[in-house]
Amino acid sequence: MADKVIRLMKHTISQTDIVRLCVITSLAICCTLITALSFSLSIDFISYQLFFIPIIYAAYFYPKRGLLVALMCGVAYQAVGYYYRYPDYGALIEVTSEAILFIIIACLIAYFIEKIRFGETRYRSVFVHSQLGIALFNCRDFTIWQTNEVFPAMLNYPTEEINGMTFSSLCLTTADKEKFLERISKTKTTDNFEIQLATKSGNGFWVNLSWNPIDESTISCTAVNINDRKIAEKLNNENMMRYLQLTENSPTGILIIQGGIIQFTNPSFLIFSGYSKDELRGKILDEFVDSRDRAEYHEYAKHWSKNKYLHEDLEIRFVTKSGGMRFGALTATSIVHLEKPATLINIIDISEKQRLSDKIREDNERRRGVIITVAHELRTPLQPILGYLNLLISDPQGFGIVDETKKILERCLVSVERERQIINQMLELSVLESGKLQLSYSTFSLEPVVKSIVDTGGYHSKAEVTIDIPESVQITADKDRIYSVIDSLLSNAVNYSKPPRIIKIFYRSETNDPQHHISMQDNGIGIEKSVFLSIFEPFQLADAAKLSRRYDRIGLSLSIAKKVVQMHSGDISVESTVNTGSTFTIHIPKEIKNAS
Amino acid sequence: MPHKIMLIEDDLPILDMMEILLRRIGYEPILVPDVSDAFNRLKAEQPSLILLDIMMTPMNGWEFLEKLRGEFGMQDIPVILFTASPSVEEKVAELNDKKLGLLQKPVSINELKDGIEKFLGK
Repeated sequence: MADKVIRLMKHTISQTDIVRLCVITSLAICCTLITALSFSLSIDFISYQLFFIPIIYAAYFYPKRGLLVALMCGVAYQAVGYYYRYPDYGALIEVTSEAILFIIIACLIAYFIEKIRFGETRYRSVFVHSQLGIALFNCRDFTIWQTNEVFPAMLNYPTEEINGMTFSSLCLTTADKEKFLERISKTKTTDNFEIQLATKSGNGFWVNLSWNPIDESTISCTAVNINDRKIAEKLNNENMMRYLQLTENSPTGILIIQGGIIQFTNPSFLIFSGYSKDELRGKILDEFVDSRDRAEYHEYAKHWSKNKYLHEDLEIRFVTKSGGMRFGALTATSIVHLEKPATLINIIDISEKQRLSDKIREDNERRRGVIITVAHELRTPLQPILGYLNLLISDPQGFGIVDETKKILERCLVSVERERQIINQMLELSVLESGKLQLSYSTFSLEPVVKSIVDTGGYHSKAEVTIDIPESVQITADKDRIYSVIDSLLSNAVNYSKPPRIIKIFYRSETNDPQHHISMQDNGIGIEKSVFLSIFEPFQLADAAKLSRRYDRIGLSLSIAKKVVQMHSGDISVESTVNTGSTFTIHIPKEIKNAS
Repeated sequence: MPHKIMLIEDDLPILDMMEILLRRIGYEPILVPDVSDAFNRLKAEQPSLILLDIMMTPMNGWEFLEKLRGEFGMQDIPVILFTASPSVEEKVAELNDKKLGLLQKPVSINELKDGIEKFLGK
């Protein structure tokens, strides 16, 4: 029960203090009276030691004021002694020294009491004011008998409620409890024991416990709040798990490289390379790059070491464990791995894509080879036919040939010529499609070239040709090839119309138009809209036979023309109305942009 | 005396036709259906010009030409490659041989005549 406190002037005095003061005062007065009585009656066995009772009592409870009590007792004893023993000087000296002894004793007691009190205060201060939770519990049944305020506050318990509970019952789960019991049964002194305790509402609360015995039956346990850290760690782990799941399940090969050395690989890369995780860790990626691509890889690696993000990927060959080859498209990103700069490399397996594109290239090569052989085989038998026809026609009289037969032979000759042309076009198209052809660009005036085509081809005699091209128009292109394109379009215009043929050649382009537009308009049979695109396709028409019959268009000249213009980054378009005529337009860019 | 023209060609129908054609345009044809005989016949006949097929066995036209210009040291004799093989223009241009011509089969009588006259004159 707490003392009632009384305020007296500047001091605060409790009731206990008043009682003690009364006791000390009464004792001091009694001692003085008894001493006076023994002096007056000369009773030797009652001596000054009586005064030690109030002095020790006072000094114990009030060390500083105890000195005052000792002083007052000393004065009182001396006064009584002087009164009865004067003038016995020996006795006076004895009394004085005994009085001094009172003060010395009081001083000694005050000193030790103060010292003890100071230590106790310090201990209490640590106990009460500590930021750590402190609990004292019994080392046998773990009953908590005292805690500071922090410990129950951590777990949301009122202080009175937690006293009397067992420490082990505070563990969150049975597993935690077993862990705690196992640990404490093994060692009475423990540091940094991480465990989850239960709050009053039953939630988990992470603490770091340290305990040690302070006497035979008591263990002092401090609990550090590590709940926030643990929650952060858990979140971090969850993030890490999410990140791991991403990399583990990614179809892209993922590597982390630090200072050129492989630190991390995901399963996709293991499948890609055929190596195991351990075989790759600590190795240099260079070792797995095919020697033919190593220089290129080093050049690429230089950039990522400069901490740049590389937008472009690098396609290189990797040597797998089995000695096979796989193609990978590699991208690199600078990251921080284990607090140090590193490079994150993604590798997409493009082996299949590469295999297909290689196959397409091979197929094209093979097809070209077939076309070349076929061309040779088709041309060879034409030679005797052409030769004999030439021979017969060159000397009809010598061979006894009449005019009518000669005409028939001449028609044969035209067919041979057509076949020869088709074979040549087939070859030309295969060269164009192989992409091996280089255009030789020059800048030239369009109008004189068109005039020359019309004159050389004798188109004036076959049709009424009008040319509407400004003299100033200059185009940059492969002159010979554009010449052939215009020639074959004009040839078509003549072939697919009946007299009176009218062919208009005209040029259109605005100043800010990036393209030249050269059109050839005829008044021929026209083309159905549904086959606009097919007429440019070589051999691949589902209705080739139908088309060729209707338009007599088995020749490959349109396919070749379109391909040539496309190589100039241009195009050919067609507009047509059946039985009215067609207009073919060549579109060629005014500026060359790395056209091949 | 008409110029002798040696035709090295393994296709017999062409050989037969060319014999008549060459005679018709005023030359004396020497027909060599087997390229292995060609060098012996060359020595014996001393032709003014060779018409040379390319796709032949056991030696193709290119190999024959190389041997002719190299081993046999006959740099001056005009040779016209007479072939149905496409894309030989580039290779001809690469060789930079002034005495080398090209006629793509099938050739007309006029093309043949012009081709030969380019080397032998009219």
